Amino acid sequence: MSEDVKVKVRGLTKKFGDLLVLDNISFDVKKGDFVCIVGPTGCGKTTFLNLLVKLLEPTEGQILIDNEPADPKKHNMAFVFQEPSAYQWLTVEENIQYGLKIKKYPKDVIEERTKEIMETLGLEAVRKSYPHELSASLEQRVVIGRAFALHPDLLLMDEPYAQMDIKVRYYLEDQVIKLWQKTGSTVLFITHNIEEAVYLSEKCLILSNKPTTIKEEKKIELPRPRNIASSEFIELREYVTSQIKWW
Amino acid sequence: MNSADTKKWYYMLPIISIAILLGGWMLVAQGEGSMIPTPYATLMRFLDICVHPISKAVLPVHMWMSLKRVLIAFVFAIVLGIGLGVGLGWSTSFHAFADPVFEILRPIPPIAWIPLVILWCGIGELPKVVIVFIGSFVPIVLNTYSGIKEIDSLLINAGLVLGANRRQLLTEITLPATTPAILAGIRTALSSGWMCVVAAEMIAAKQGVGFLIVRGQESGDTALIVACMLVIGVVSLLLSTILSKLEGVLCPWQFSKTK
Ligand SMILES: Nc1ncnc2c1ncn2[C@@H]1O[C@H](COP(=O)(O)OP(=O)(O)OP(=O)(O)O)[C@@H](O)[C@H]1O
Ligand SMILES: [Mg+2]
Repeated sequence: MSEDVKVKVRGLTKKFGDLLVLDNISFDVKKGDFVCIVGPTGCGKTTFLNLLVKLLEPTEGQILIDNEPADPKKHNMAFVFQEPSAYQWLTVEENIQYGLKIKKYPKDVIEERTKEIMETLGLEAVRKSYPHELSASLEQRVVIGRAFALHPDLLLMDEPYAQMDIKVRYYLEDQVIKLWQKTGSTVLFITHNIEEAVYLSEKCLILSNKPTTIKEEKKIELPRPRNIASSEFIELREYVTSQIKWW
Repeated sequence: MNSADTKKWYYMLPIISIAILLGGWMLVAQGEGSMIPTPYATLMRFLDICVHPISKAVLPVHMWMSLKRVLIAFVFAIVLGIGLGVGLGWSTSFHAFADPVFEILRPIPPIAWIPLVILWCGIGELPKVVIVFIGSFVPIVLNTYSGIKEIDSLLINAGLVLGANRRQLLTEITLPATTPAILAGIRTALSSGWMCVVAAEMIAAKQGVGFLIVRGQESGDTALIVACMLVIGVVSLLLSTILSKLEGVLCPWQFSKTK
């Protein structure tokens, strides 16, 4: 197997009781790739990420990260869940530092990363606040900060920007690209928003309806920074949209 | 109404309700041979027992005796109750082992233990403390346990993915997330503990507010009974205020600074 595969999925099948959700899926994600996963509602996108980090066990098949089963204690990965998952009893700052503390980073690294995240995500004004004092979109930014602070090799994001208004979303889309370019991490990014998928990704993984298979792996070979108004962009966006509709 | 008036109104309302209570009380206490003492008689009796001892102790000493029993029992109930609750909620095998016994004993009203506990422990301090312990232990266990059971699995998952080990999941995620539920259990336990101490003292004690109430009943001294009841009410209020302050210290995240 070649060295530069980050995530290897083979014959992955997941059933919940009688409900067949993922049906014998196989694919590779290259190291340093930015993959967006798109597909109809309820097709199993969240289930796939949960399998990937071992929160769920597959019915059949396997998922390997760096050629071994995923282990959050060993692999430097971060997960932004679909639902808000900030720790209510920690301040914004402590939330952002929590992953670094678990991974026992030295103090100066923690300080430096905190500063960086506070700046890039615009959280300085609320650093001492508790999550419940923030709007839902700001709270989600805290969770994103907690993930970004780790500079993860593998960044998993499950519709992270779904509840943000368009301005914040555009800004955060550029921030995740910056982080990806700076740290060379591998990103798996789930979204319902096709424009977002085409704007962000190197490759779009288009999933079918349940029982879910990969309908197409579409390479997005547009230069960056991308222009969402350009005709190539719009053409790609419409193509991906149509692929989701005509399953 | 403008906001200043509204504020005044909110200060007035409790005064009005207390005035109505006092007025109603005076009304029913009217008349010859009423079994209800007047507020004035109650106040006088209260002042009297503050200086003249009954059963070798003045009222503050009786109060302190009761309070001491509650507090000693409470320390044990909190430590052991949280311990058992965490065990039940956290470890599946411990739950399978201990839950049936707990479920059988739990519905027994703590007061039903009094005769047995007196037979076992005699009439010293121990039986009262044991009964208060039984009464306050159960709500703490139940709240801790259900708090842990009902924790949002997302919080645990987020910790798992960050690489937290089992100890960190317990002490850094589960326990902080459960603290409000545990404090609610302690609050319930406090009122249950008071109930138990008064009940236990009414049955077998030479000191304590429960003892004073029974003494009042035996001598037809209704003013003494009512004075003691009111003192119990005020002390409970004080304790629950202290508990609220403690909640603010232990769970600052529940009380916003900005809102
Ligand atoms: N723990 C579970 N038990 C039973 N069924 C489940 C469970 N988790 C998910 N499912 C089912 O599996 C299917 C896929 O769910 P999943 O949440 O992965 O979809 P999704 O693609 O993330 O959807 P969305 O776009 O709404 O986020 C759904 O039909 C869902 O009802
Ligand atoms: Mg989902």
